[in-house]
Amino acid sequence: MPNQTLDHVFRALSDPTRRAVLERLSRGPISVTKLSEPFKMALPSFVQHLQVLEQSGLVRSTKKGRVRTCQLASKSLKNAEHWMASQRAIWEKRLDQFDDYARKFHKKEKTHAR
Amino acid sequence: MPDNKNYDENLDLVLTRTVDVPREIVWKLWTEPEHMKKWFAPKPWTTVDIKIDLRPGGSVSSVMRSPEGKDYPNVGCILEVVRNEKLVWTDALIAGYRPAPNPFFTAIITLEDDKGGTKYTAHAMHKDPVDRKKHEDMGFMNGWSQCLDQLVETAKQLKK
Repeated sequence: MPNQTLDHVFRALSDPTRRAVLERLSRGPISVTKLSEPFKMALPSFVQHLQVLEQSGLVRSTKKGRVRTCQLASKSLKNAEHWMASQRAIWEKRLDQFDDYARKFHKKEKTHAR
Repeated sequence: MPDNKNYDENLDLVLTRTVDVPREIVWKLWTEPEHMKKWFAPKPWTTVDIKIDLRPGGSVSSVMRSPEGKDYPNVGCILEVVRNEKLVWTDALIAGYRPAPNPFFTAIITLEDDKGGTKYTAHAMHKDPVDRKKHEDMGFMNGWSQCLDQLVETAKQLKK
């Protein structure tokens, strides 16, 4: 695990505003304007918080026209994890079937050899 | 075990099994189509066809059928054949080492004797399943996705 990245994550989590932002984002993507509404601070200060979160990799944002939308970055990770888990399941099952088939085949051969 | 330098925890799977069957038989069942058909597709999928030209550069082709009856063909190329020891193939190439349009994996199967049986290792290396943009995001997050989830969870607790 890259320590520098982990430092960024801890730094991102060390602030109550940023934790509140993460919690809001855990409910789904939202525009920066809407995201900032509940926070009583100037937009530039809020944007700075978002930048810290983006640097940490916890959050990502996309801009469409004049609207910037933020979302938790963990969704793509979940997809990737899910994909790896399904690949593993396929191989486990395949090898279970192989072991089973190999044992039966070997047993049959031994019986025939007698 | 795979060479650590050639192991990517985000894209590779390594499975090691020991089976109480001699190495020659394990090899035979891993390389002969009539046997592979019996076990290669994870049930309820089935292998309806499989052809192997067992030599480097030789073709491997298979057709797997889904439980709904849809057929999924896959073609690849044998890269390495060491009888009773090692088999390597990929679908990044087709027969004669020609590049394939949709590369997805390379598999390395190694066999060793183990107390009268066989220890075998399947090392499957995958191409990234997601598009390039997501790949970049993932690259940034290498290896700590679980940790990330826990951190987000912890963060929520801290706020309360």
